[in-house]
Amino acid sequence: MANVLDLKRRIRSVKNTRQITKAMKMVSAAKLRRAQERALAARPYAESITAVLASLTRRIEIFDPATGNLRHPLFAVRPEKNILLVVVTGDKGFAGAFNANIMKAALNVIDESTSDGADKQIDIEAIGRKGRDLMKRRFPTAKFDSVDIDSLERPVRNRASAVEITGDHPGLLDKPVSSRVFKLASDIIARYIHGEIDACYIVYNEFKSVISQRVVVERLLPLMDIGRPEVRSLLEPTSAEKERAAEAALTAGVALTEADATEAVEESHKFGTANVDYIYEQPAEELFDGLLPQYVSSMLYHSIVESVAAEHAARMTAMDSATNNASDMIDAYTLQMNRVRQAAITKEIIEIVSGAAAV
Amino acid sequence: MTEISNALRVKLVTPERVLFEHTVESVELPAKNGYFEVLYGAAPLVAELGAGDVTLHGTPEGTQRYNVNWGFVEVLPERVTILATDALKPAEIDVPRAEEQLARGHREWDSAGDNPEAYDEALHVIAEAEAKLASAADKQH
Repeated sequence: MANVLDLKRRIRSVKNTRQITKAMKMVSAAKLRRAQERALAARPYAESITAVLASLTRRIEIFDPATGNLRHPLFAVRPEKNILLVVVTGDKGFAGAFNANIMKAALNVIDESTSDGADKQIDIEAIGRKGRDLMKRRFPTAKFDSVDIDSLERPVRNRASAVEITGDHPGLLDKPVSSRVFKLASDIIARYIHGEIDACYIVYNEFKSVISQRVVVERLLPLMDIGRPEVRSLLEPTSAEKERAAEAALTAGVALTEADATEAVEESHKFGTANVDYIYEQPAEELFDGLLPQYVSSMLYHSIVESVAAEHAARMTAMDSATNNASDMIDAYTLQMNRVRQAAITKEIIEIVSGAAAV
Repeated sequence: MTEISNALRVKLVTPERVLFEHTVESVELPAKNGYFEVLYGAAPLVAELGAGDVTLHGTPEGTQRYNVNWGFVEVLPERVTILATDALKPAEIDVPRAEEQLARGHREWDSAGDNPEAYDEALHVIAEAEAKLASAADKQH
């Protein structure tokens, strides 16, 4: 049996760990608040773009009646042969099952698409260091013939494996700048238009509130139903997990429900949808040309900021659990220490008493 | 009474946040094919924006200018919503970077060869840089 000194040391070490997890929890709570604000601030733009696009597609047919051509190549639906998967994970660990859940969802899609004769090819675009590292361990990186940065010719791809990583974006989660996200969106759109991919899905952790978040696989391209992206699969948290998250949020002082943004959102919904005959300054093709990349980029931006908020929420919950576990451990060790001490004292008394009786 | 109802509500939104929201007397907008000004009671319109300055007249702080790059505007008789991909105050413009961007645009233009997409891309970059520089230069006057 461990002696009192050992147990004392153990308790001190667990106490230190508890200090750290507590601090991490509070840091995550603060970061979560900031991420939530950012997600909220980004909403008017996203809603407006969606609203105007939806209204435009209602008023103008996607097919040009005169020529029968599609108004924009992003509406083109082809059989899914090459799929681009955008995987949004976190940059750091210590967030419970956050990264693991996203990876599981992503690998499910990959398995589905590559197994039993589906014979599809998958490109992976990894956002977030954790996902990138895990994907890199499993799949090779795509190789292109060397390209000149200034030229805008499409690079020639040498595909060696069915699943390859085409890019990663370090630091994007740390500071989600819309211009960088727009660049990524333009890149994805260019690949789609040039027929290098036939569909694009994004795997990320949706964040509605601290207790309501889930891993979703959403279709980004082709654009089918604007404003309601098709969800291919999702992973909901269990009620026990939700309870845990609520408890963590309560102790960290984070509001459970999001700040009321309904009014602003409703107003943004009206963008370009008033019941009047608009004068369209540009022909429909040009409007679509300008709007669609913006729409795709705002969807990407939205999923990135939501994923960041979800990551902080997950870390906060995980660290709260760790703090609680440390407290339990300290209690258990303290009890054990007291018992050991008591046992030693009792033993000494017995020795003294039996010694006295022998005299 | 009439004055209040004759005010035009302008909202300037970027992907990251809402930059400006207030009533103004009029607003000048850089549409893709030229500037136009909107007053209260304009006909409903949806237009794509180019690179240039949005000028807001009669805000609480007087006339305000924002340099915007690409986006959309919805004009309704009493409301104008500007969706800009990027919006900066003239004072926030990084002149050396804009100059660098202009040089890059010209380089892209020169190397575009016979690829129409490349020309479009180069034009895009040049227009953005020129608008930024013009906007920044205006500030000093």
